[in-house]
Amino acid sequence: MKIVIMGCGRVGAQLAGLLDTDGHKVTVLDIDAHSFRRLSPSFGGTALLGDGTDEEMLKKAGIAEADAFVAVTQGDNRNVMAAQIAKHVFNVPKVVCRIYDPLRKDVYEALGLEAISPTTVFAQLLRDKLLAM
Amino acid sequence: MYIIIVGGGSVGYHLCKALLKEGHEVLVLDKDAAKCENFEDELGSVCVRGDGCEVATLAEAGVSRAEVFIAATDEDEDNLVACQVAKHKFGVPRAIARVNNPENENIFKKLGVDCPISVTNLILEHIEEKIPTHPLVHLLSMGEEKMEIVEVKILEGAKSVGKSVNELALPSDSILALLIRNGQKPQVPTADTILQINDRIIALTTTDSEEALQAKLASN
Amino acid sequence: MRLDRILVAANGKDADEEAVKLACDLAKKSKAKVCVVYVIEVKRSLPLDAVIESEIRKAEEVLSRAEDIAADKDYEVETDLIQAREVGPAIVDEARERSVDLILMGVTYKKRFGAFSLGRVIPYVLEEAPCRVLLCREPIS
Repeated sequence: MKIVIMGCGRVGAQLAGLLDTDGHKVTVLDIDAHSFRRLSPSFGGTALLGDGTDEEMLKKAGIAEADAFVAVTQGDNRNVMAAQIAKHVFNVPKVVCRIYDPLRKDVYEALGLEAISPTTVFAQLLRDKLLAM
Repeated sequence: MYIIIVGGGSVGYHLCKALLKEGHEVLVLDKDAAKCENFEDELGSVCVRGDGCEVATLAEAGVSRAEVFIAATDEDEDNLVACQVAKHKFGVPRAIARVNNPENENIFKKLGVDCPISVTNLILEHIEEKIPTHPLVHLLSMGEEKMEIVEVKILEGAKSVGKSVNELALPSDSILALLIRNGQKPQVPTADTILQINDRIIALTTTDSEEALQAKLASN
Repeated sequence: MRLDRILVAANGKDADEEAVKLACDLAKKSKAKVCVVYVIEVKRSLPLDAVIESEIRKAEEVLSRAEDIAADKDYEVETDLIQAREVGPAIVDEARERSVDLILMGVTYKKRFGAFSLGRVIPYVLEEAPCRVLLCREPIS
């Protein structure tokens, strides 16, 4: 699979590493070059300095041939905007984004975007852990 | 009308002031407490501190009864999300967004923002109008219907010169509404009207057919 | 101090009683006019002139009680019900419009998250009122 990841934070970098090890073609985008330090030295994919909400930048990252796009920057709104561009402008088959705010995530899910809210997921995990003790 | 503006910067401030003067009920949302206080001092209780992209904040602001929602922050992604939440979650009839990066205007329209406004593009269009060699100028975009009112100048060398409207075989979803010719009263062009150099045509066209219309009328 | 017009901002709490009584005492000397107002804060999800039955009933009770307290002191007070987005600004606006010389407010001794708090309205009125402001804080029971 050809995957474009927007955001090389902890999650983005980990995801990039996992997919790269699995043998996929990964391109990671970030607006800060310093973020790329999180990628392992053996990372075989491409790291590109740029803004994933910019269509030109996405094209450079290979969005036109991408099978999947993941938006995991720190900004909910940037993630949502980039995901929608990937889906509606470039018709990327699989698009997933992180939206911290649970209520906003509901709005976007209703709009057909696949979104994960770490807030909800983690709160539930913690609850399960506490109840299991 | 009840109008909500997200973003208490200079655009938000002046919009608010102008709308209040016209007698509307206005609420401005801004994340910064200091900005809210400025509003309070000058215009009264019209600014509430909050993130205009959050569902809870918008619910408290009474977005459901707002007739117009304006997103005027510095960040395109915030303006996009605020408008989308207002429209899809709260059913606001008209959502207007400030678009800072002109390239985003199309995606905003595509994603449901009724009226994306790019100042850069507006200024460019005004400059275009002043350039005599630029044949097609946008006068008005009618976003909901995806139509444009344009003005086309028939310049020397255009292949439409000397041809009748009928002969030009214009796109079916374009209408030539008015012909302005030097020394004559503006008239509605008919199928037999022959185009001359320096004619100005006001036409109505769908966004999709705009290029084709320009090609038929204005190209060499 | 010469007092011709006094505004009492009632909020339905027990401290209103002291405020109304004090207003009457102060007014007697110069036969000042006393007006007791109650502000209904209308949420933004409703239009400003929305009719909220429960709030209006509560307001009328509060104002009626104020009239009774004044009557006990042998003084007549005017009452008024205001609907606004925020209480503080509404009180200050009212004070300006009526050109009052004094605003009187009762302070309930309350703690918020474990710390003593004056709330939002009192600090606003203290800062923005054009005229004198007197607060009477009830004793700690």
